This record gives sequence, structure tokens and C-alpha cells, in this order.
Amino acid sequence: MQINLRNKGNVIILDIEGNLVGPNTIALKNIIDDQIRESGGEPVFMILNMERVQMMDSSGLGVIVAAYASIRRNNGRVVLLNIGGNIRSLIVMAKLVTIFDRYDTEAEAIASFL
Amino acid sequence: MGEKTQWRIFLSLPSTMQLIYLIDTVISDILREMNFDEETQEHVNLAVIEAGTNAIKHGNKEDINKNATLEFLIEDDKLTVVVTDEGPGFEREDVANPLEPENLLKSSGRGLFLMEACMDEVVYEAKGTIVKMVKYKQRPNL
Repeated sequence: MQINLRNKGNVIILDIEGNLVGPNTIALKNIIDDQIRESGGEPVFMILNMERVQMMDSSGLGVIVAAYASIRRNNGRVVLLNIGGNIRSLIVMAKLVTIFDRYDTEAEAIASFL
Repeated sequence: MGEKTQWRIFLSLPSTMQLIYLIDTVISDILREMNFDEETQEHVNLAVIEAGTNAIKHGNKEDINKNATLEFLIEDDKLTVVVTDEGPGFEREDVANPLEPENLLKSSGRGLFLMEACMDEVVYEAKGTIVKMVKYKQRPNL
């Protein structure tokens, strides 16, 4: 599992590669928690680019739900970019489709924060 | 009358989450061999990983001296997966519904729900230390 962190303006972009399953999810949780901590209480604007995530289980879902809740607490937002059909179906099943904004291009995702 | 194909495969794992990938590897190959469609493969794969995670993490509390056992019964018309742990068990009705509004933003508690949503049948036996899940090649008429 690999996670690349980029910044575009005040937007944090995490490019995630691999399966968000079981112990793999801890790395993502740690990176998100670090970014929230480093923000010092300022709103965080984050894009999770999941183009290269083939599979996610309830642990992975738990990490992105926890990120949503923590980031929203400080008036920030986390959105999903390029999610595949299986992850979309998981989010629909878990009734989280109304919670996560989803975008197909990075430009659209960034524009959503403006 | 043609004879029914039936294969039984066992996987017994020490209870460490580092071995979850083995469950993924085995179930992925079985599902491909059985020619389930792609969406069904993803659903069953997820359900089996969730059941394995529950057995290792919640049942056996990641005690490597305890084993999580997965039995795959492959038949022409269905796949049955039986997951067993050595833990104290649980009551299904004590696990909250993750779809209730007050639970939607909780970071855990979706495993059983996903197993039940992805499989055709899920039965908990021996206080939940044995979970039997079935996926049919063609969904039976209920």
C-alpha cells in the first residue's frame, strides 16, 4: 500500500494505491491524523484519490468515515476522487453516499472547495 | 443423473491481521474458478475478509496461539464458507445497526452488516464462533 501526499494551494491530496483492507488502513489513518494535527484546528480540505484502490473493507470505510467526522468538526471537508464501482457500491450499501462528495476529476474536486 | 462436483478446502491461520491477505488470495482464486460474475466476486471477497477479520480480531483477539479456520465448500450451484474462531462468541442482536442515523458516522461496526448484505445466507452458530455463509450461482427464488 502506498500513499503519496501532495498539496495544491490549501488542498491536501492523498493518492492512495493498493487495497484499503485490514492492517493496510492504519497507514492512511496515521497520515490523515497527522494532517489534522498539523492544521492546528484550522479547517482541512482534503481529497482522497482512490483511482488505484481496487478494494476496501469495513476497516477502510471506518478510516474515511472517521476522517470525515474529524475534518468536519473544524469546518473542513474531505471528498473522494475517482472511486471505482466496487467502492461506490460499498458506500451505497453503507448508506454513506449522501455523506461523501465524489468527483471524477481532480480539477472538479479542487473547485468544490472554492 | 450427473454427479455433483464438491470440493472442500481448509485454511487455518494463526490469529494475526498480517495474514488477512492470504484469505484474500484464496477466496479470489476460488471465486474466479467458480466463474462468479465480477460484482459477485467483489461482494463475496469482501464478506469473507470481513468474517476472517472478525474471527482474528474480535473472536481470537489477535492471539497467535488461537487459530481462525476457514472452510470453503465448492459445489456446482453454490459456495459455502464456514469461518470458525476460538473466542468467547457474541450475540448478533447486541451489535448495533450501522445504518441507523446515530451510527452512520461511527468508525467501526459495519463488518457483520456487510457480510449479510453481500451473501445470500449468513447463519451464526455456537454463539457466533461459527459463521456459515452461502452464495448461490443463481439466487434462489424466495
